[in-house]
Amino acid sequence: MMSTNTSAPLVSIRGLHKAYSPTVQVIKGIDLDMHAGDRLVVIGPSGGGKSTLLRVLMGLETIDKGSIAFDGQPYIQADEARGKTSIDTKVRNSIGMVFQNYTLFPHLTIVENLILAPCKSRGEKESVAKDRALTFLTRFGLRDKATVYPSQLSGGQKQRVAIARALMLDPKLMLFDEVTSALDPELVAEVEQVIQQLALQNLSMMIVTHDMWFAKNIASRVLFCAGGTIVEDGPPEQVMGAPREERTREFLSRVFHIGA
Amino acid sequence: MTYTFDFMAVRHGLGVLFDGLLVTLELTVAANVIGLTFGFGLALLVMHRWAVLRWPASLFVEFFRCTPAIIQIVWFFYCVPMLFDVYLDAMTMGILALACNLTAFNAEAYRAAIQAVPRDYRDAGIALGLNGWQRIRYIVLPTAFRAALPVLVSNGIGIFQQTALVAIVALQDLMYMGKSLATESYRPIETFTVVALIYFAVSFPVSQLASWFEHRRDRLAR
Repeated sequence: MMSTNTSAPLVSIRGLHKAYSPTVQVIKGIDLDMHAGDRLVVIGPSGGGKSTLLRVLMGLETIDKGSIAFDGQPYIQADEARGKTSIDTKVRNSIGMVFQNYTLFPHLTIVENLILAPCKSRGEKESVAKDRALTFLTRFGLRDKATVYPSQLSGGQKQRVAIARALMLDPKLMLFDEVTSALDPELVAEVEQVIQQLALQNLSMMIVTHDMWFAKNIASRVLFCAGGTIVEDGPPEQVMGAPREERTREFLSRVFHIGA
Repeated sequence: MTYTFDFMAVRHGLGVLFDGLLVTLELTVAANVIGLTFGFGLALLVMHRWAVLRWPASLFVEFFRCTPAIIQIVWFFYCVPMLFDVYLDAMTMGILALACNLTAFNAEAYRAAIQAVPRDYRDAGIALGLNGWQRIRYIVLPTAFRAALPVLVSNGIGIFQQTALVAIVALQDLMYMGKSLATESYRPIETFTVVALIYFAVSFPVSQLASWFEHRRDRLAR
């Protein structure tokens, strides 16, 4: 195993700035290197720029300043002079994302949801894609749901399907944006277990979550983001167990309801 | 109430009413075929980013939505031939007038449905590596078409009833035949009751179909 210092980072973010409007600055200068196999969990108060960071990485948002390289290739670049953002869509295809609201397509069955992108954007043969889809569904305990529509599934089942759909494209990095926030409490575990399963296979992932126990369990590294910057960055034991920064301590004491 | 209904008096006219119904159905089907296809194209123009396309399209929609259908029909029959020196047979004129009206209403139904497709689907489509055209073709259009379907069907039934207006320009549809039968039999109340029942018998099942589509759509959207 090569040391992480000598191998090129999987994601390399430099000088990232993003505003939704001149008065709403959500990301105010982020520099970040993430290595293959990292399970990076981003925590922090709402409006701190966590979800925006993930959306930018997925190429869903324009940026104002900075650049992002992925797997050693230039990926996203801000052209400050012209106020434009260039996104390399080829590079983008190696990143997958799961959203808070499942976003399964309601007019397609579960298996059709899974094979749409492989067949249409990659030209995979339908029968081959279907076999792979059924393998995923079996692995996630959803084999019997293959031919039903998303409306017939529970929130937890929908979210597991959404994860399988993203995995169908063999991403090198998976982004999870508050994937359990819309779920009833009793359904959270089944989704987190699936993510744990992927962690065991060393899939690189970046996770935004409000579930601190899950964060502690799954993270190989934790970022505390607030006010559009990275306030603290380190292993979970340190950031969540013995935070150096006052803002991190304050945030953690509030979410864990520990009297200060 | 002293009036005595005598439906036997109009029994002999059923064949004539049936001929009228065929004309009405012909007008309805033709107007719907045009309205469903051109309405879609018009909706795309109304949402176009080029103002040169957007403006005339919006004007067309608003003109046909904001004037009475009966005036549109009269206008088609008398003004179009005079102004543009175009002479078409009455049936074609009737179809065109109704089709333009329906096209405008359907364009609105399509536009509303397309704009109501959740933004999340766009994000999901991008995250799955689908390009712009693929997202429109496989996600936006099927979702929007399903959402619009109940309104499209209900607009279609609406135009079935609006066809009665072409009777004033002497197209021999169900309404026109009813009027003739009423005059000839001296039994207007019975005649128009029968005519109304015929309109109802055709519309009702279709309107039930629209409700079914709506129910199904709402069930799938959950």
